Amino acid sequence: MKTLRPWFEERLGLGAVIGFLEKKEVPQHRHTIFYYTGSSILFFLGIQIVTGVLLALYYRPTLAEANASVARIVTELPLGWLLRSVHSWSSTFMIAIVFIHLLGVAFTKAYRRPREATWVTGVLLLAVSLAFGFTGYLLPWDELSLAATKVGTNLPRPIPVVGAWLTGIMRAGEDVTGDTLSRFFIFHVSVLPLALLAIVGVHLFLVQRHGMSVPLEEERKGVQGPVLPFWPNFAFREAGVWLILLGLLVTVAVFAAPGLGPQADLMAAAPEGIKPEWYFLFLFQTLKLFPARILGLNGEMVAVLIMMAGMGLFTLLPFFDDRPAGRKGKIITGLMGAGLAYAVGMSIWSLL
Amino acid sequence: MKLPYSLFSRRAFLNGLIGGWAAALGAAFIRPVIKYILPPTPEPDQVSLPLADVKDMAAGSVHGFAWGNKPGLLKKAEDGSFIAFVGVCTHLDCNVSYIPEQKRFYCACHEGWYDENGLNIAGPPPSPLRRLEVSVEGDEMIVRKQA
Repeated sequence: MKTLRPWFEERLGLGAVIGFLEKKEVPQHRHTIFYYTGSSILFFLGIQIVTGVLLALYYRPTLAEANASVARIVTELPLGWLLRSVHSWSSTFMIAIVFIHLLGVAFTKAYRRPREATWVTGVLLLAVSLAFGFTGYLLPWDELSLAATKVGTNLPRPIPVVGAWLTGIMRAGEDVTGDTLSRFFIFHVSVLPLALLAIVGVHLFLVQRHGMSVPLEEERKGVQGPVLPFWPNFAFREAGVWLILLGLLVTVAVFAAPGLGPQADLMAAAPEGIKPEWYFLFLFQTLKLFPARILGLNGEMVAVLIMMAGMGLFTLLPFFDDRPAGRKGKIITGLMGAGLAYAVGMSIWSLL
Repeated sequence: MKLPYSLFSRRAFLNGLIGGWAAALGAAFIRPVIKYILPPTPEPDQVSLPLADVKDMAAGSVHGFAWGNKPGLLKKAEDGSFIAFVGVCTHLDCNVSYIPEQKRFYCACHEGWYDENGLNIAGPPPSPLRRLEVSVEGDEMIVRKQA
């Protein structure tokens, strides 16, 4: 050990990183709990990678075999049912904590200068996470996943100029077919993971570079509040949070394993009661409520354009919320609250 | 007029040249790649069904067939004539089903309804079901794109 350390230090020069982590401090205040969400997301990401690789050992992304290979994983392979259930539930946990992380950042306005780029990479990570959920939903290739994918891939179509083209790229042509399944699989296991890891790298770098953001009210006190050393105090607390989450995850996965519907049939009518994953429910409900025509325009196009404008504004939030403590900032907070209430309300309505 | 110094340094010129080359080279690859990932999916000009399969259908019932990658629906009207549709909802592309008791087409995805002639009557669908042309030739029933 004594000789190894200098050997590695000479070759890798990691002393600076270790020195940084030794000195890193985590501010303590009433919103400290949000600091735990980031590492919890990484924890679930790790679980997704491990269980995903294991599932891919037996999964076959073809029209004829996809549904049957999932059935084989959950019925014949030792603990296969648990792996699939953990992968499915872990995605739900991960996206739930992504939303909590996001709300924490949004409502404490942690995106304010100089952390705009951290926010934008975070929104990109949200998009990639949702794309993971969307592509993964199709892979079991049952009736529900087919119908959800048909709707989801059709959404961009009414967008002027590029819409039909985007739909074609997602579907591998005009219709959802076996090529769509291959495409979703390769995005789920290769393109999206590469993108996610690259963006996570930038995101984490930026978080370290700027340090932990402190809420406005603490910042305005002007005095440095209490802090906790990252190592070992905060890291051990995080480990405790991970253990609790792991316990919850495995418990839910054991008692509520996801089902598998009959194999998708491209020619069959859409089944009754289709629903997307819970995090798309508010979009689903909005689409259901929009009338066919609004002021002479295609209602779907209006709905999709409104959603896109909302997402665009959300991504650029730090750039126009430039006076977070002022009146403008309070109005923006109110609007975010309204948006949150809308999403929660619509999701609940869609379940009724 | 001779300038005492260059407005455009040799380094800036070379950077621009190399950057421009790289960008042009990259751009040249985009189109073929997009062509590759967006394959053509022509829909059939016509589909023929054996007449024997459909001529004894009960009036008011619906027979499904494959219209390329999409489901087609052949319906025998009360007067014995045939009409055909692409069985895909005009809202968001889900496959529709026919409910004979109500004489309506139904899309389960977002609760869209069409009457027995494919006209959108309730829910979010913005336009009627797409009609196909039906004709009998010999012992085949031919379904064609509408002219």
